[in-house]
Amino acid sequence: MSVAAGVLCALMLFLATAILLLQTVPEGYPVGPHLSTLAHYLPGYEVSWYGALIGMFYGFLIGAIGGFAIAVYWNLTHYVALGVMLISSAELAD
Amino acid sequence: MQATNHNVNGVNLKLLNAAIRFNALMLGFTAGTLAAVVIYSATQVSIAKWGDNSGNYLGLLAIFFPGYSVTSGGAWVGAFWAFIYAGTFSALSYRLYGRVLGTRIADILLSTVPTENPVLKPSVLRLHGISLGAAIGTMAALCLFFSTSWLVVRGTAHESIHAALFSNYLPGYSVSITGALLGAVEVFAVVFIACQLLASVYNKIVEMRHKKT
Repeated sequence: MSVAAGVLCALMLFLATAILLLQTVPEGYPVGPHLSTLAHYLPGYEVSWYGALIGMFYGFLIGAIGGFAIAVYWNLTHYVALGVMLISSAELAD
Repeated sequence: MQATNHNVNGVNLKLLNAAIRFNALMLGFTAGTLAAVVIYSATQVSIAKWGDNSGNYLGLLAIFFPGYSVTSGGAWVGAFWAFIYAGTFSALSYRLYGRVLGTRIADILLSTVPTENPVLKPSVLRLHGISLGAAIGTMAALCLFFSTSWLVVRGTAHESIHAALFSNYLPGYSVSITGALLGAVEVFAVVFIACQLLASVYNKIVEMRHKKT
């Protein structure tokens, strides 16, 4: 799940940046001023082609960590719930 | 014979529905908790980094999270709402995924050979991209439609310059009911494609691992 979520997030952040870069902006106006505030949380990120690559790296990292956390937590909750069910059924059988 | 088969199918469907309900609850709890941690952490980072000037963008969440603010107390309120929203979204998405997938679940089982220990070494399920896309896409489309409608209903549509930025990615979207409908269709398409990608990468890796073992 880590790699799959990482690839998806990397692609999403890259495309989000690329779409803004491909749109025409009047001269003197900043490109993607709102998306570039992501730099507050992702140091080095900016709305440029170079920033899109950096965003891809961060996207993969965030997606991979998120995917890993979800998978681990999902498995853990299942083990706990199944453990409780097994113990209750054993007690009922007694 | 037919009566026996009908009974067996009835029991299996009952078990399948119970498993879907259980998994939906578990996913809701998992995603809700993680979303709560993310919102709480983002709020605390914002406070630590910018102090009194924090919350220019994050504070906009208060439109959807009543009582939320970029303060220490507000972080807990935000965590509560994030848990509710993400938990509900995930649980409903899973229920929908289960409904769309239905009895085709047997087709996505990686191995039909029963494992020696189903608790310690459970069978692996692949993801069904189309069902996943249909479920999460529908939920995402509903979210965009209702959140935009909420901005229209509360009378702040013309002030919602940040929500209007969605039109950069969703051509034709605007903070209006018509724009919300158009945006919902487009979001469904985007999420559907994203789910196909997620499912194909996930399935490839799972199959590779399965071949190794």
